[in-house]
Amino acid sequence: MFSKKKIILEYTVEKCSKCGMQKKRKFSEGDVLFTECSKCDSCDGMSFIEKIFGETLEQ
Amino acid sequence: MSLVNFTSFDFDQLFAMSDDTNPIMMLIWILPIFFFVFYGQRIQLYVTSGEIKKGIGKLDGFRNESREELINYVKKNLKPVDDPVQKIDRFIDYFTIMPVDMDPNGIVDKVRHIVRSREDYTREHVRSLSPQMSNIELTKVQTLLEIASSLQMIYKIINHMYLTAKKQNNYPLILPLQMILPFIMEQSEAMKEAIPVFKKGQPVGDGIGPMVVGKMMLKNQKETVAFQTVLAKSEFEGRNLFFLKAEGPGSTVGRPADGLEKIVSENEIDVIIMIDAALKMEGEDSATVARGFGAAIGGIGTEKFEIEAIATSKNIPIFSIVVKQSVKEAITLMTKEIADKADDVRTQVYEMIQENTTQGQSIAIIGVGNSAGVPQ
Repeated sequence: MFSKKKIILEYTVEKCSKCGMQKKRKFSEGDVLFTECSKCDSCDGMSFIEKIFGETLEQ
Repeated sequence: MSLVNFTSFDFDQLFAMSDDTNPIMMLIWILPIFFFVFYGQRIQLYVTSGEIKKGIGKLDGFRNESREELINYVKKNLKPVDDPVQKIDRFIDYFTIMPVDMDPNGIVDKVRHIVRSREDYTREHVRSLSPQMSNIELTKVQTLLEIASSLQMIYKIINHMYLTAKKQNNYPLILPLQMILPFIMEQSEAMKEAIPVFKKGQPVGDGIGPMVVGKMMLKNQKETVAFQTVLAKSEFEGRNLFFLKAEGPGSTVGRPADGLEKIVSENEIDVIIMIDAALKMEGEDSATVARGFGAAIGGIGTEKFEIEAIATSKNIPIFSIVVKQSVKEAITLMTKEIADKADDVRTQVYEMIQENTTQGQSIAIIGVGNSAGVPQ
């Protein structure tokens, strides 16, 4: 009766293969695990998608 | 002659049974007893059936929603040659008759044959909707079709049980339904929530095994070793490693038993390590990692049987690592807690190899589960 509405927020975590720096961002269509996605912000290495997951938010 | 006084209610007399008790007072509590003795079950039937009807309404919504989602997905993404609605409706109503088990000898082969025939039939007919569709799209549509078909079957069975109990006015008949309904609703809601996840090609909780092994396979050469199953070979501290998983990022569990059979026929395997998701018990924390012995693999049982038979015939020990999760977590988008355990499980696999094998030995590492959104 008084249960809160649950929303699942989808995230993608990118990890630089060179410096190991991780970046969490919103999931975007076409993201696939372990694929090369962008250049690292802190070095010239390439970032790979390390994780894709959902976090539940109660409203 | 004195008349009964209807106006003087004495509550002290209400529950008394002495000679001077007011007869009206006695009737007030005796009548309901008789009423409930004769009509109690019927009243319970009405109350219970109201709750079940609400559940059936939800199930009806789920099956319609899953059917609509599937039709829209096919129309929007696959550009079908003809109108797919009629074909999809026919696929959704497909059923599987399990073989007779009066004589259990050879039952596993029969079950495997029926299940694989069904899969092959569905795959070819889904492909006929749009011959140009890729294999990844094909596995997605096949999974969506399985969900829609399961929700349809659940609705039909529950509705049948409910209507039979109502028709017979039989309260005991509705009791098992009332008991199983919460579990059925939990699984059905999970299936409904799994639809967008499979459509987007995201990893599900059950994909933790392929996710762990997939990353270990990344820099090695891959080969298809069985239908929708890939193998990669590597080395670790003087040991030969054979990584096996379903071919991602399509939504499939592959055929790990066939893959293992091929590996064992060509190599001498000393240890098998299986990584899978396992259902957690109530009260257990989600995403806890546990180690054990025996084949960690779910499904109808044919793959497990085959893996156990191979291991027994070659005297190979099977170790397993499982990541605990609920039914809902297993088929919906992987939670952060489960995804965060991938590195820990990978470390535990290497620890297990160091503890249980020596240099020069060979180990088969199988990532069991749905490889949706998990390449290698």
